[in-house]
Amino acid sequence: MTKLKSSPIRRKLMAIMLLVSAVVMMVTCACFFAYEFVTFRQRMVQTLSTLGEIVGANSTAALAFENHDDAREVLTALRAERHIVAAALYDKNGAPFATYPDTLDAAAFPKAPATDGYKFENSYLIGYEPVIQGGQRRGTLYLKSDMEAITERFRSYGEIALAVIVGSSLLGFFLARKLQNQISEPILRLAETAKAISDRRDFSVRATKVSADELGSLTEAFNQMLDRIQTQLARLDLLSHTTRAIGERQDLPSICQVVVRSLEDHLPIDFGCVCLYDASRQALKVISVGFKSQELAEKLAMQNQDIINIDENGLSRCVRGHLVYEPDILEIKSAFPQRLAKGGLRALVVAPLAVESNIFGVLIATRREPNSFDSADCEFLKQLSEHTALAAHQAQLYTALQQAYDDLRQTQLAVMEQERLRALGQMASGIAHDINNAISPIGLYTESLLENEPNLSARARDYLQTIQHAIEDVAQTVARMKEFYRRRETQLTLTPVALNQLMQQVVNLSRARWNDMPQQRGITVRLLQELDPNLPPIMGVESEIREALINLIFNGVDAMPDGGSLTLRTKTADGRVIVEVSDSGIGMNEETRRRCLEPFFTTKGERGTGLGLAMVYGAVQRHNAEIELDSELGKGTTVRLIFPIPAGQAAPATAAEAPRALPARSRILVVDDDPMLIKSLRDTLENDGHAVTTATGGQAGIDAFRAALKNSEPFGIVISDLGMPNVDGRKVAAAIKEASPRTPLILLTGWGQRLVTEGDIPEHVDRVLSKPPKLRELREALTQCLAAAHASKPS
Amino acid sequence: MEILRRWLAIAVLVALGQGVTPAQAQTSPSKENRIKAAFLFNFAAFVEWPANSLPAANAPIVIGVLGEDPFGSFLDDVVHGEKVNGRALEVRRFREVSEATNCQILFISDSESGKLTDILAALKGHSALTVGDADDFADRGGMIQFATKDKIHLRINLEAAKQAGLTVSSKLLRVAEIVKGGKP
Repeated sequence: MTKLKSSPIRRKLMAIMLLVSAVVMMVTCACFFAYEFVTFRQRMVQTLSTLGEIVGANSTAALAFENHDDAREVLTALRAERHIVAAALYDKNGAPFATYPDTLDAAAFPKAPATDGYKFENSYLIGYEPVIQGGQRRGTLYLKSDMEAITERFRSYGEIALAVIVGSSLLGFFLARKLQNQISEPILRLAETAKAISDRRDFSVRATKVSADELGSLTEAFNQMLDRIQTQLARLDLLSHTTRAIGERQDLPSICQVVVRSLEDHLPIDFGCVCLYDASRQALKVISVGFKSQELAEKLAMQNQDIINIDENGLSRCVRGHLVYEPDILEIKSAFPQRLAKGGLRALVVAPLAVESNIFGVLIATRREPNSFDSADCEFLKQLSEHTALAAHQAQLYTALQQAYDDLRQTQLAVMEQERLRALGQMASGIAHDINNAISPIGLYTESLLENEPNLSARARDYLQTIQHAIEDVAQTVARMKEFYRRRETQLTLTPVALNQLMQQVVNLSRARWNDMPQQRGITVRLLQELDPNLPPIMGVESEIREALINLIFNGVDAMPDGGSLTLRTKTADGRVIVEVSDSGIGMNEETRRRCLEPFFTTKGERGTGLGLAMVYGAVQRHNAEIELDSELGKGTTVRLIFPIPAGQAAPATAAEAPRALPARSRILVVDDDPMLIKSLRDTLENDGHAVTTATGGQAGIDAFRAALKNSEPFGIVISDLGMPNVDGRKVAAAIKEASPRTPLILLTGWGQRLVTEGDIPEHVDRVLSKPPKLRELREALTQCLAAAHASKPS
Repeated sequence: MEILRRWLAIAVLVALGQGVTPAQAQTSPSKENRIKAAFLFNFAAFVEWPANSLPAANAPIVIGVLGEDPFGSFLDDVVHGEKVNGRALEVRRFREVSEATNCQILFISDSESGKLTDILAALKGHSALTVGDADDFADRGGMIQFATKDKIHLRINLEAAKQAGLTVSSKLLRVAEIVKGGKP
């Protein structure tokens, strides 16, 4: 049986047919034999009884007239029936009368006849036939027949049956060979087709339908299956191609374009587009329409950037994440399907574009033929939309990454710029120190002269005052240089600022930029000032506002490469103070106007840092002020700073000028490595009546202090420079405080302001003054320090 | 076993042979006559009479004995209660042939052999089967003659039977000698 299972179908069919025919033949033969056996026995009985009757009839006279010879003669006639092996006649008394054949012994016969009738006994048929004449029983005939007849008959039957079976099997074999083709041929063809397909992976092969029966149906079903596989493969191919094409695109519009185009060309569809979902407006915006769909899109008002409102229709289901299929949109009453129906479109599929269950758009595919999307199409569109959404998401990520990269690059550039500025700042800081040292004597002497020499001529006094202003300017300039490296103060100390005066300072300070440099290039920049003389002061940080204004002036000059007029304006309006800087330059376009306040945004290329206006903006914000920009291309730009007027108008700062009392006379030790500075400090302090001792170095200062302490002539106060070779101001201070803790120490430094603002007053230092020292500040410091020292001294 | 069976068979045969003879010897008729009586009865089954001979359906077949009766009551015993072809049998004894014309079977005793020709003539026109045991009975016009040699044989004058309108069964003829050239 196993062998049969694995044998080819042809052989199976043959085997089955032959087996069936053989079995049928055998069963038929068996039935026939059984029938024959039964009927033959009956016939045998019949034959024998007929024979018995004839012989009996012939024996009647012999029995009646006791003619034994005649009886024997009658019995001898049975010779013709060779199957009769024995016969005997009994008279009416049951006594044996005659026997047949002669050769048999009397003992071979029954002694007396048994009951009339025939029966089979030990493969013999035995019969007792009554012998009757004239209605009278004359005796009994005994007959014994062997069964050879049956055996012979069955032998010949067996031979015939064998011949028939062999013959019919042969015939069956040939017939089966022909007929089994009817069944095996289509199956084999199917099998060959299937094999060809699996070998060559060619799904365009089709099986030929041979018959119209179940095999024909099977072939059809097989071909249909192939159709579906082929379609699915084509879809897969399309999906893979589209996905690959999408993968090569980095931006959403071109991804969508690829998707819609490939749907149009290969699915195909009659109209397709991709829309973005705007959840806040409950609307879709068309962002990509297929090339072939353009014409229809125009008709349906579904071109790029057109808006489709989402009402309670398929779209709303779609934006909730379901793929929507409408087999026939004529049956849908809502607006969007009706809109499509106007373009002759009937079947609609809307697939959601979702990233992590966040719907950001939909893919719309339509056909003119109703019911034309099958489930495979829908599945395909669903998968395609998933791929599209993923690709779109990646594109967004890519854009974000690019943005982040750009920002990082900008930041890196900015950091490099800051580093450069820091280096510049350090250099500037060194220069500032030196300049401060250098101008300190000038400032001190000038101040001293103006104060202590009442007999100066008016001219001398004027000159000295100009010198004093110039020195202050230099000090200011140096201080601004420090801004390069200084961190901006976070805690503003607001003071009243007179903007008109500040404006004047700014004009003077920036003169080189708006006057000298343009003139060198043969360009004239006219500076106009329209200042409101009754302008109230505002509360602010003067240096920051000054810096902001200088920046605005620089920007104005830069905006007028061919010259023009720069107008500075102050006024009050609506209870606010307004400062304007207007140029008649090139103006700004929309984008520049929008972005100009951003840090690092510049239109000046290499020359600009992109920090100017950003700094202005920062300052404005810190002053609780506003900034306005009016600009027109080719006409110029006006920048307007609007400051609030403080509630309680403080008294003008100038009123604070009051005659100051001179500090108590004291013994003062001045330590500095700059002899010029030492000399000027000594002169001015001695002029105030102090006893001044000087030391030109840290160590020398410490030695002098200790010596004085030893000689019981201690110094009342020590003024020391911070930056000195070998032993600097900090060490001096430490040594002094160690020797005499109550002796105050004033540290004089080119970095003074920095130290103060950073809250970094070194240990042992009572006061820090920045260079160049002003005599007024020096006196004040001395007064305070001495008073404090005196107060703490135990009496 | 075989031997035993054979011995048994022989014993039975001996017993039969010895048993019959003394029993018959005691009754008056001889064994030969007893056989003849049985034969007379048997003839009824092998002969057909013309229809007018036995008009009534239930009329008995009459066996007549003319002359000296050799059978005694034995013949009566033989036919008693027997029926042939549905008819009973009856034995009658006659002195004169004129009485015996209605018989179906008529045994003409040896004692009547001198008058045989007259008797047969008297029976002409009647369908009686004539039976006798005279030596030339059949030759002289009798129908069936008992001829005794070792055993009893039958001699039949078929012509005589035919003339009387009787049909003798061929079966009977098989066991009999047909007399040819005899007087019909």
